[in-house]
Amino acid sequence: MATPVLRVENIVKRFVTGSASITAVDHVSFTVAQGEVLAIIGPSGCGKSTLFNVIGGLAGSDEGRVIVEGRTLSGPDPAIGMVFQEESTFPWRTVADNVAFPLEVAGVARTERLKRVHHYLELVGLKGFEQHHPAQLSGGMRQRVAIARTLAFGPKVLLMDEPFAALDEQTRLLLGDKVLQIQQALAQTTLLITHSIAEAVQLSDRVLVMTYRPGRVKRIVDIKLPRPRTAEIIGSKDFGLYVAEIWNDLRDEASLGMKDAEAKLPQAE
Amino acid sequence: MAAEGLMISRVALLRLAIIASTLLFWEALAESGLLFRDVVPSLFKIAHALGHLGANADFYANLSATAVEVGVSLAIGGSVGVAVGLLLGGSRLMGRAFEPYIHYLGPTPKIIFFPVMIMWFGIGPGSKIAMGAISCFFPVALITAAGMRQIDQVLIRVGRSFRASTWQMVTKIYFPALRHPLLNGLRLGFGVSVIGVLLAETKLSNRGLGFMVMQSYSQFDMPGMYALLLVVFSLAIMVNSLVSQLGGLEVPNH
Repeated sequence: MATPVLRVENIVKRFVTGSASITAVDHVSFTVAQGEVLAIIGPSGCGKSTLFNVIGGLAGSDEGRVIVEGRTLSGPDPAIGMVFQEESTFPWRTVADNVAFPLEVAGVARTERLKRVHHYLELVGLKGFEQHHPAQLSGGMRQRVAIARTLAFGPKVLLMDEPFAALDEQTRLLLGDKVLQIQQALAQTTLLITHSIAEAVQLSDRVLVMTYRPGRVKRIVDIKLPRPRTAEIIGSKDFGLYVAEIWNDLRDEASLGMKDAEAKLPQAE
Repeated sequence: MAAEGLMISRVALLRLAIIASTLLFWEALAESGLLFRDVVPSLFKIAHALGHLGANADFYANLSATAVEVGVSLAIGGSVGVAVGLLLGGSRLMGRAFEPYIHYLGPTPKIIFFPVMIMWFGIGPGSKIAMGAISCFFPVALITAAGMRQIDQVLIRVGRSFRASTWQMVTKIYFPALRHPLLNGLRLGFGVSVIGVLLAETKLSNRGLGFMVMQSYSQFDMPGMYALLLVVFSLAIMVNSLVSQLGGLEVPNH
C-alpha cells in the first residue's frame, strides 16, 4: 500500500462519571492509505462514535495523536471532512446553499463557490435539485446533500459515522453504490464507521474490528473483493465468506455488549 | 370538504353574531339611560369622535410620539433580550446562574419601576422608552434562551467541523435556527412594550396616546376616549398580523 494519509496513534479516551473512570477507547492505532476505504466496525458501546469525534477534532483525547500527511491535528481541521449519522442538512438553506456552506465559512469567492457546488451536486446525482429545500427531499437525498457538502470542503480524509443509519435497507444499498462510485471517482481516502457488517464489506478495502468496552483494535481484515464494485457484490460467495469471518470476530464482542445491557434492566421477582 | 366549508361559514356567522350582539347590547345600554351620562356612550357618538380624531393634528403628533417610543423600546429591549437569551441558552453555567432571576422578575408588573425610570430618564419619552424596553426584555430573553436549547445539536457540530468562527456560528446557524422563537419573541415583545409605554404615558406624561386617553378621561370626553381605545386596539391587531405574516413567508421545515 502507498504511504498513509491518515495515521491514528494510540488514541485513549476516558470518561469520568462520579468517582469512576471508564476507558471508552483504549490505545487505538491504525493508518489509512491514499485512496483507501477503511471501515471501523464494532458493537454498540465500543467507542466508535467517541473515536469519530476524536478523529474529527470535535472531542479531545487523553492520549495519542491524529496525523494527516505528517501534520498532527488539533481540533477540527480542513484535512478531515465529517459526515454525521443524524439528519444534518440546514432546513432553512436550499440544497445548493447547504453545499456552499463550508465554502462560505472558508471565505471562498462566489464564482468559485458556484462552480464547486455544481460539481459536487452533479457527483452525488442531485443535479436539478439546487433550489429545493431539504424538506422537499427524501432521507437518502438529504444524506447525499450532506456528503456533497462535506466533499465540497475538500478534505484529505472523508470521515463518516454510520451515514446510512437513518435510512431503509434498499436506500442504504443504493446509497452505498453511490458512495462507492464517488469514492472511486475522487480516489477519496475514506474512514467509515459502521455497525453493519454488510456495509463494511461492501464499501471498504479493510475492516477494523473493535472490541466491546474498552474499545481496542481486535483485528484488521483485508477485503480482497474486486474494484470497481457495485451493490451486486453482496450476492457473491466471497462477500458471504467475509461477512461470516467478520461476524465470527464480532460475535463475542456483541454478546458481551448484550449481557451488559441486559444486566442494567430491572429484574422481575 | 362540503362539511368543512359549512363549518367555516358557521364559525364566521357565530363570530359576526358575537360582534353584532355586543354592539346591540352596548347601544341598548347607552340608550336606556340607566348609566350616568356618557359612561357608555352611543356608538354614533363614538363614530363621530373617531371622525373628529382623524381630523385632529394633535392626534397624529401623539400617535407618532407613541409609535417612536414603542419602536425604540422594542429595538433596545429586543436586542438586549436576544443577546442575553443567546448567552443564557448557549452556556449551561450562565443559564443556571442567571435564568431564575429573569424567570421570577419576568411576570412582576414592571410599572413598579416607573418612579425609578422617571428619576433616571425624566418625565419625557426617555422614561416611557425605558418602561417599554424593560417590559420587552424579559419575554424576548426567555424565549431566545429556550429556543437556543432546542437547536438540533448536530447542526452545531456541523458548523464546528467546518471551522465556523463564533460570529459565523451566530449568523449562519444560531439565528436562522432560531427564526421561529425570534419571531415569536418579537410578537410578544411588541405586545408588552406597547403595554409598558402606554401605561407609563397614562401615569405621567405630556404626550402620546396614553396621555390623550387620560386627558379625554379627565375632561369626561367618553366618546373621545373610546375612539382612542379603538385606535390602539386596531393598531395592535394590525402590527400583530403583520409580524405573523412575516412568519408565514417561511420556507417549509422538516
